[in-house]
Amino acid sequence: MEAEIRNKPSFANIHVKLGPGEQIIAEADAMASMSSAVDIQTMWSGGVVKGILRRIFGSESMFVNVFSTESEGELTLTQPFPGDIECIELKGNTLYLQPGAFLACEPGVKLGLGWAGIRMLIAREGLFRLKVSGTGRIWFGAYGGIFEREIDDEYVVDSGHLVAYEPSIQVRIGMAGGIFSSFFSGEGLVTKLTGPGRIYMQSRSFGGLAAWTNSHLW
Amino acid sequence: MMDEHTFTGGVFSDTIDGGRAGAEIELSPMGIRALTLDGDRFEIPFRECQLEIGGFSGRMVFCRNQDRSITIYCEDRTFPSALSSASAGILDQQLGESLKQRRSESRRGRLIVASVLVVIMLLLVGGYFGVQIGARAAVRAVPVSVDREIGTMAFESMDLEGPEVTDPKVVQAIQTMVDRLAPYAALDGLDFDVHVIDSPMVNAFALPGGTIVVFTGLIAESDEPEQVAGVLAHEMAHATLRHGLHRVGQSLGLAAGLHLLLGDTRGVVSAGAQLFQLATINSYSRDQENEADAEGVRMLHEANIDPMAMPRFFEHLRDKEGDLPGVVSWISTHPQHEDRIAAIKSQVASLPKRQYKPIEVDWAEVQKRVNHEQLERRDEDADGS
Repeated sequence: MEAEIRNKPSFANIHVKLGPGEQIIAEADAMASMSSAVDIQTMWSGGVVKGILRRIFGSESMFVNVFSTESEGELTLTQPFPGDIECIELKGNTLYLQPGAFLACEPGVKLGLGWAGIRMLIAREGLFRLKVSGTGRIWFGAYGGIFEREIDDEYVVDSGHLVAYEPSIQVRIGMAGGIFSSFFSGEGLVTKLTGPGRIYMQSRSFGGLAAWTNSHLW
Repeated sequence: MMDEHTFTGGVFSDTIDGGRAGAEIELSPMGIRALTLDGDRFEIPFRECQLEIGGFSGRMVFCRNQDRSITIYCEDRTFPSALSSASAGILDQQLGESLKQRRSESRRGRLIVASVLVVIMLLLVGGYFGVQIGARAAVRAVPVSVDREIGTMAFESMDLEGPEVTDPKVVQAIQTMVDRLAPYAALDGLDFDVHVIDSPMVNAFALPGGTIVVFTGLIAESDEPEQVAGVLAHEMAHATLRHGLHRVGQSLGLAAGLHLLLGDTRGVVSAGAQLFQLATINSYSRDQENEADAEGVRMLHEANIDPMAMPRFFEHLRDKEGDLPGVVSWISTHPQHEDRIAAIKSQVASLPKRQYKPIEVDWAEVQKRVNHEQLERRDEDADGS
């Protein structure tokens, strides 16, 4: 299977060429176009219970679509908001994705939902996050550009900007500075991450967009 | 854990394409081995192993070689004890220190989370009382003329479900009670304007600004004029304590308070009038009802009218609740009356003893005229249908 991310970074989409018997699993409603030779099969995402949990707590669809073909075909997958898409290959390792980030994966990848904890809720990152593991490529999207960091010591990320991280990353919540600067600098609470491991961040945040829009409504 | 010495984990190394891979971790007598799915093997002897504990779960054990080019990690709960056992105690000191540090960080994290939750709770509670205090301050700053405008506008557009009674004997009886109570109102500038409506509803209410509406059902049901005066004192207290304006403020939110403070009263007046017009029978919060009871008792006492008539009327309504006509009676908009009766009696008991002066009206005649008017109306309705 060949996959290419096009129109990076603002309006990225995945152009997939499927060979005979090849499959790609995508978030429901991610398909923008496809050849008539491609078959689409809708399945519960990891079973009925997991699908419902993914919908409620992971901001993902209850269903995933499995695209396959017996001959050859191509399809384009996209995300509902403007921003970049990143592809990484899992080799038996695990990655946590923030709610709404998952876009597509190869059949060897397992999708699960994990408890993120109160600290992530306070950091406005959600109580749950998706856990992807196994082998194969996975594509995830973000609002704005995606940039990655390989971290070992402590690294600070503002809330709403973390997209994906490895389980080896320790996450703590802290103030951006002192009490005064934390409240009046506009940064407030931040996420403090400690490696080793890799993190993926988005250059814009939905919370920031909502606050900006709100400030122009009055 | 796959068996006693084999675990699922992973490895970080620059020699792997992408820098990381899941791996099967094996503990041998010599060291820790990691075997990736691609068949790459990594090994760190126990004596070179630098241990750390962390990761998202806080229990991931990282074993690094001396130049930190290889990191083998495992999250299995039994891994630390298996590592201690396999290394024959070589790594026990590092494990102990890492676990101690981790527990300390975990305690600090829990303390921060608890502190944040307490601060959020305090902000919520503080915000609630702040809004309440702010709303009261806003209402105090608003001139009484705004109350009158809301009340007048609401009254003009209200459907009172009956014609206004013009019989001077009936209207004058109610006016006499209001005239005795009015001098003791806690707020100046109110104009108590009495309207008696022919309706079997056992009810009365006062609109913001002092417009008072009494239904003939209340007159017919009261054994003595002091009982009606008790209800009137309670309803007049809602007007003097400006509960109507508070209610408008609560319904319209903080924006109403800001508009009022900035002197822009038009929008609030029309919205308030609409609110009172929709709720023909006013319902206030439990605290406001209790306040109106207490203020009503004070007014009755000052006006030299027996305040015990108020709880007597409540008891009378309670006893006859099922038999009363009218779908909406005063009792249905004034619940929890057992507590209220007890509170009023306790307040009356604390007042200085006084010889109260009866209300000088021919109550039997007033009730007769009211009943006659109701009968006439029912006959008219029957003829009309």
